[in-house]
Amino acid sequence: MDLLNTNPDNLSTLLSWLTFLPLIGMCVVLLLPASNLRAIKITAGVFTFIPLVLATQMYFGTFDKTVSGYQMVQHFEWIKALGINYSVGVDGLSMPLLWLTTILFFIAVPASETVPRLSKAYFVLLLLLELGVLGVFVSLDFFLFYVYWEIMLLPMYFLIGIWGGPQREYAAIKFFLYTLAGSVLMLIAVIALRLDAGTFSIPELVAIGKAGGFTGPALLGMSFTTWVFWFLFIAFAIKIPAFPFHTWLPDAHVQAPTPISVILAGILLKLGGYGLLRGCFPIVPDAFQEFAYVLGLLGVIAIVYGAYVALGQSDFKKMVAYSSVSHMGFVLLGMAALTEWGMNGAALQMFTHGISSAACFLVVGVVYDRAHHRDLNGFGGLAQPMPRYWAMATIAFFASLGLPGMAGFVSEALTMVGAFQSQVGWTDEAIASGWMWGPFQWLTLIATIGIVMTAAYILWALQRVFLGTLNEKYADFKDISAREVFSLAPLLVLCIVLGIFPWYILDWMEVSVSDLMQILTFAG
Amino acid sequence: MFALQDLHLHGLSLLSPELTLVATALVILMMDLIWKERDSWRLGAIGMIGLGAAALQLIGAHGTQDTAFALVAIDNFGGFFKLFTCAATIVCIAFVMLDRRERRHRIGEYYFLLVSAAIGIFFMVSTYNLLLLVLGLELASLASYSLAGFHKGEKRSAEASMKYVVFGGLSAGVMVFGISLLYAATGTLDLRVMSGALAVDPVGEGVARSLAIALEQSPGMIALAMILILGGFSYKISAAPFHFWAPDVYEGSPTPVTTFLAVASKAGGFGALMRFFGVLFVAPDVGELVAAYRHEIGMVLALVAALTMTLGNLAALRQTSLKRMLAYSSVAHAGYVLVGIAAMTQAGMEASMFYLAAYYFMNLGAFGFLLYFSGVTGRETLESLRGMGPKAPMITVPMVIFLVSLTGIPPMVGFTGKLQLLYAAMSPAEGMQLGWLAVCLGLNSVISLYYYMRVVRTLFLEESDAPTPAPQLPMAVFLIVMAFLTVWYGLFFSPLLSWAKSSMDLLT
Repeated sequence: MDLLNTNPDNLSTLLSWLTFLPLIGMCVVLLLPASNLRAIKITAGVFTFIPLVLATQMYFGTFDKTVSGYQMVQHFEWIKALGINYSVGVDGLSMPLLWLTTILFFIAVPASETVPRLSKAYFVLLLLLELGVLGVFVSLDFFLFYVYWEIMLLPMYFLIGIWGGPQREYAAIKFFLYTLAGSVLMLIAVIALRLDAGTFSIPELVAIGKAGGFTGPALLGMSFTTWVFWFLFIAFAIKIPAFPFHTWLPDAHVQAPTPISVILAGILLKLGGYGLLRGCFPIVPDAFQEFAYVLGLLGVIAIVYGAYVALGQSDFKKMVAYSSVSHMGFVLLGMAALTEWGMNGAALQMFTHGISSAACFLVVGVVYDRAHHRDLNGFGGLAQPMPRYWAMATIAFFASLGLPGMAGFVSEALTMVGAFQSQVGWTDEAIASGWMWGPFQWLTLIATIGIVMTAAYILWALQRVFLGTLNEKYADFKDISAREVFSLAPLLVLCIVLGIFPWYILDWMEVSVSDLMQILTFAG
Repeated sequence: MFALQDLHLHGLSLLSPELTLVATALVILMMDLIWKERDSWRLGAIGMIGLGAAALQLIGAHGTQDTAFALVAIDNFGGFFKLFTCAATIVCIAFVMLDRRERRHRIGEYYFLLVSAAIGIFFMVSTYNLLLLVLGLELASLASYSLAGFHKGEKRSAEASMKYVVFGGLSAGVMVFGISLLYAATGTLDLRVMSGALAVDPVGEGVARSLAIALEQSPGMIALAMILILGGFSYKISAAPFHFWAPDVYEGSPTPVTTFLAVASKAGGFGALMRFFGVLFVAPDVGELVAAYRHEIGMVLALVAALTMTLGNLAALRQTSLKRMLAYSSVAHAGYVLVGIAAMTQAGMEASMFYLAAYYFMNLGAFGFLLYFSGVTGRETLESLRGMGPKAPMITVPMVIFLVSLTGIPPMVGFTGKLQLLYAAMSPAEGMQLGWLAVCLGLNSVISLYYYMRVVRTLFLEESDAPTPAPQLPMAVFLIVMAFLTVWYGLFFSPLLSWAKSSMDLLT
């Protein structure tokens, strides 16, 4: 069976070009003299713009959303002795996220203007980071996936650690340690799968998992697939970050410079959710079915707890960071529900949160660059000197809140409906008696508390920053500049457009999501 | 009569790399007396040329399967470790030449001792005879004792030498006692006779028994012998609980000597250890009783591995001296290499050899960095590196690559090494279960990240107004080449892998 669909029409080197363009850009930047920062910025801009054009062209052109399976596949042997292949391709799950990646990295370059101590190394690392992220989204070989996954760590460590806030060193090493701990578990699971199934190829592993083909021994009372599931789940859950592995995120966000926060919230967190959908659930669907309710519970805890903690923050950025924890909880809840609606909602939520949280961090960055603090209680009445900024901030935060007509609404609504439909944990007797109620119905009910609290903390924050009496110190603040609008506007447009026409993402994912659901709900 | 002579000549020709090194050592001594130069680079060049010639002969002899004088085995396995030793010793000599603090007379003896230690390692890794093994080990150790104390006037150096002698003497004694017990139980000193591969002892007299029979007759004696011999090896590779000498000796010795001890000498110890346990227990046709014993040896090695890496990493966390930190880190890495051996499979041994090759690039790089900065600042503390990152990027950026590789993060060669060790641990010999060791190895990588990143943090994340260090072009070139190879072999490790695989010809 040709799982990669390597017929000649389907082959393409486009994805490799896309992945390695940032690397070429990095080499060009390295060759430029460090003193010429302007040329470096332009080069970085060009080499993030070309991938954006390429990805947009793929998204609306080359990619065929009606076909199931992987597209634009490239496949050759890399290290024969260990059966490692260079194997890349995209499907409906990765294509939107790939596009999102190129958008956010392009936006990050102009947004980097105000980063203190900006230098050549910053852009070198930024481009290296983009290489890692793009690579993860296109990898179809688990070894390749892991290599790209780890390539991201070092640039991120430096970007937070050198250009971050006062406690940057602590935040950077905390980020690194948490992620590496997860990666190590992933590596062990990947090797276990390789030893058991004899392949690193993700499509092949999925096929074997569906057929119940893993024969590994049970250990300490847990089956082989259960072990693999938990190792992989923890690895990806740290990245999401799911409760209780989320504590690195607020530190990293608060210390990171604005553009790095944008990338962290916008894409790096999505890698966790994407990893679960690509490399964890479909490979061990039986274990996933068994523990779906635990995942749902973790998701709901993240939603409610994240929102509750966000409510208590006085640091603007920390509030947005905790809102990320809360919103990524929806991703977990939607996936765990094991319904088509929930899965679509979760996949869409990854995209919409990528846009809205990135926009929120940019908004915070604008006010921080002027006031040099982020104390929510220290502002007030900023709507007067900065009316355009106020309008844009309101759009960004309402999209994050999930106001109908905005992107966040569609995905959260889909997730909630999907979770409420879930039949996970329904007993036969309960169904027979007509009591169609199980763990997920309770969880959905509890999650609504989180939605109310989200509205509370966002409205409260907007009120404290923009309304009320104007703080005299800030009366002379300049309104949002053209450069800042240039970064923010595309995201806001997407927030509104996707709120009204969500099928510009949903249609692309539809085939892949229903394929995935077939695998996951497969009674093996 | 003629036949006998032919045999001798043949044996000598097989030993040509060893003879080349002996000649090199003697020429260095002689020319030192003739030239009487205070800081002779010419002597170092002679040493490097001699070692290079030996290395070329070793490459040429790849594939030869023979025995010289019934004692020295000529095989790819020994060739791997000999080549490793040559390559490492060449770098150590280069380090001596680049060491800014090494400007004294008697430099000829320095090189002489380094080459002599290399000769000791050569014999240690290429014999099935335990007596020759001990002799090689002692030759290497004796040279190392003097090298550790080479800076006679320095208190720390003298202390290092003294500690090394005491520990070395003790553990050599322990090991010889173990070997004597083994001899008593089997009546032979030849590993192949013990394993049953040879029926007649090529050098011994009297009745020899295989290990299988000896195990049946006197299992307690064998168990004691194995533990004692493992103790002796543990000292050489600085594995727990015989690692206590390592940090003090590594710290006190001149940096090039530390490099030699941490890379060449340690690899030599691993070569001997792998030959010993490999031939006795891992070979496929060892018989039922020995095969059952294999698990117990494997478990002991696994425990030693877990203990070594954990103790090494935990101790490294608290170090303020870069040199001492690297010393503990090299203890931890000995634990990693042991994982592959503990798996008790051929693939596991190959993984260990691959890891040693990876260790060569990244650790020599790290020590080169240390040598450069201790020469610049005169100190070896982490503190003295503060803010140096952007000031000497040619030196510090390669160091970041070495540290990332030592942590085991792709796309560096240290990662591919660790990958194979994990592989080995997760597919050990039939009936063994080493999944816990794989998890232990993984978690240790996370611990090690913390202290390796502390160096990176000091270099790049902290700021200072210390002056820009004076550049040293040869060292920068060396570090960049090593860093490049660290990345290159991380991405395309097939050549290293096939070299390690083809060198594992012990068990056939």
